[in-house]
Amino acid sequence: MGRRRKTEPAPEPTEDTTTTTTSGGGGMDGGGGMMGNACYMYPVTALETAPLNNPDVTFNRGVYINGSMTMDDGNSVTIWGFTDGGGMGGGGGGMGGGDMGGGNVFPSPAMRLTQGQVAHTNLNVGMMMFHTIHHHGIEPEYRSDGVGHVSGDVNGNYTYQWKPAHAGTYFYHCHTNTVLHAEMGMYGALIVDPPEGPGTAFENGPTYDVEAVWAVDEIDSSWHNLGWTAGTCGGDVGLNDLNPDYFIITGVDGAQSALTAPGIAVDMNRGQRLLVRYICAGYLPQEIRFGGLDVEIIASDGRPLPNAVTTDKINAVSAERYDVIIEPTTRGTYTVEIDIKDWVTGNVLGTARTRINVN
Amino acid sequence: MNRRNFLKFSSAGIASAMLGTAGLISWVPRAHAATIRKTYYITEGFITQPDGVDVYFRGFSSSTNSLNTPGEHIIAQEGDTIDITIVNTLGTSHSFVVDGMFDSGRIRGGESRRFTFEAKNPGTHMYYDGRNAPYNRVTGLHGGLAVMPAGSDDELYDGSNRFVQQYFWIFNDIDPAWNNAVRNGQTPPSNYTPRYFTLNGLSGRPPGAPGYGDPTIDSMHDPRSALYGGLGDRALVRCLNPGLVQHAVHTHANHMEWLATNGQPRPDVWLKDIVPLDGNGSVDVIFPFEPAPDAWPPMTNSTLQQAKDEGRKSAYPMHLHDEMTQTAGGGLYMFGALTDIFYEPK
Repeated sequence: MGRRRKTEPAPEPTEDTTTTTTSGGGGMDGGGGMMGNACYMYPVTALETAPLNNPDVTFNRGVYINGSMTMDDGNSVTIWGFTDGGGMGGGGGGMGGGDMGGGNVFPSPAMRLTQGQVAHTNLNVGMMMFHTIHHHGIEPEYRSDGVGHVSGDVNGNYTYQWKPAHAGTYFYHCHTNTVLHAEMGMYGALIVDPPEGPGTAFENGPTYDVEAVWAVDEIDSSWHNLGWTAGTCGGDVGLNDLNPDYFIITGVDGAQSALTAPGIAVDMNRGQRLLVRYICAGYLPQEIRFGGLDVEIIASDGRPLPNAVTTDKINAVSAERYDVIIEPTTRGTYTVEIDIKDWVTGNVLGTARTRINVN
Repeated sequence: MNRRNFLKFSSAGIASAMLGTAGLISWVPRAHAATIRKTYYITEGFITQPDGVDVYFRGFSSSTNSLNTPGEHIIAQEGDTIDITIVNTLGTSHSFVVDGMFDSGRIRGGESRRFTFEAKNPGTHMYYDGRNAPYNRVTGLHGGLAVMPAGSDDELYDGSNRFVQQYFWIFNDIDPAWNNAVRNGQTPPSNYTPRYFTLNGLSGRPPGAPGYGDPTIDSMHDPRSALYGGLGDRALVRCLNPGLVQHAVHTHANHMEWLATNGQPRPDVWLKDIVPLDGNGSVDVIFPFEPAPDAWPPMTNSTLQQAKDEGRKSAYPMHLHDEMTQTAGGGLYMFGALTDIFYEPK
């Protein structure tokens, strides 16, 4: 295994266009990326650092690998994620369901900022492992893209710099041994508000009164006992074959709990406008139905649609996001169902459910 | 070729055989229709996968002693005559089909056939073996056909968004048990569990892995797959999926302009960082090579030049986001269906 790199203090981005140092590359045992036992996890060249400017908002993230999620059937599944490092402002946001305010929460603490703000994401990996943060749908300079091997894996500290140009719904996730790390839960919501602030979907776009973030994911619990390097040293660890047994919405079991979970199940009044930020956070295709309610798709993948589309269901594939406005005209309880489907046959493997309660 | 005398190929041999004539698709429009001639040899053999396992494939190949999967692409313009000769070197029957355009019918083992058909329906098409469906197609007998609108060199179809350069991304997912059943003349098992995932027949190699950076081995550096461009070099990418899995095509650095799915122009062009690609389907997208919009400081030609001068590559990945496709043989993350997008200064 590779030597642990020394951990350096988080960069202090106090001067314009300073260059920070980082650990996270070079000096690997085995040389040339060929570990003694031919593993392909660790960077083989030094992680490039980009000049940093003063940020308007900073998100500090650490890593946990000892999380646990209790399912409706009483079983527990190991969860990994990002912690809210705190201390440098910004961060948090209370988006979606569950407690997303900080600490070991799942999904990881949301990032929320305003279009045009210069953002820093400080990732600290204090353990002997590598991770990254890729801000999915955010398109920064390559050194801030957070892709293992391509833009570099992180051990120690690294700062990603980005300035979102488009309001909308994104998410962030680990991009090291991604197939496993994102499945283990290393993701969180990323919301970019327009200059008008929360309440408007995008610049000069539709307004909303109530907001929900539904990150719908499937879990194959048999994967959740693997180590962080699983498969990267060769050998068949089954990462080609996902057989999910749990189907969740924003970190809550979609079998029963998500039907009533605060922050996931929606309580709203007739006449209000609901913005649902739907994130296909799993790997398999999904179909979401809104309990018979018509929805207006106003944006996808952080970009407004040229013409909004009215529908009562959406089919999505991995990592797509759809922003929909719902304005119910009739009081009642509407059960939202998300089918997670086999990637070959399209057969429904499971269904996650929540509710929209219109008072 | 004797059916028992299987060829064995490393992926390097296959790609190097193709690089001389393939790569970035070039096209010069003509005022008049022409005849496009191609000869394909249906061959078979084994290709060594990233985990060292030899897997059986068949292909529409460029010679009797090669194995091309996918086969070399065809590009024609609407109204051209496509003149195809198929030499079936195997003992089994096969066919050559382009949906909506042509079906050769049965081509028996050992038979050679020549036929012509008219290029129509501007857009992206798959040619494939329609017999023993879907097994022969999935086992490697497929390739891409691009039909350009008459007289145009920068549109997918008349009136589409315009592009500067164009590529094929042909994905495949491979269950060796299926391929082996085809080899043995058996019906593959009902359960399909792909273990290898390829882009234009190759798979990725991360830094440090044998073959990393070798364009004949590493799909991240294969010039048929990797996008190279400067700002404004809008790249049309014709994505085909002869496999069975529904994929999520994901580009970093820019959202894609989503032009068409399964040959049908979309009512509106959406900007997407993820585009769905159906099993046995197609999507057409333009990667616009605009400055990465969320870069700070902004990406300009000068920053790209500075990176080049400093020996840095402004590289981003394209990968499928159904991440199981990024593996080989049940592990080996980043040895799957992915490539790189290289921004270069002008």
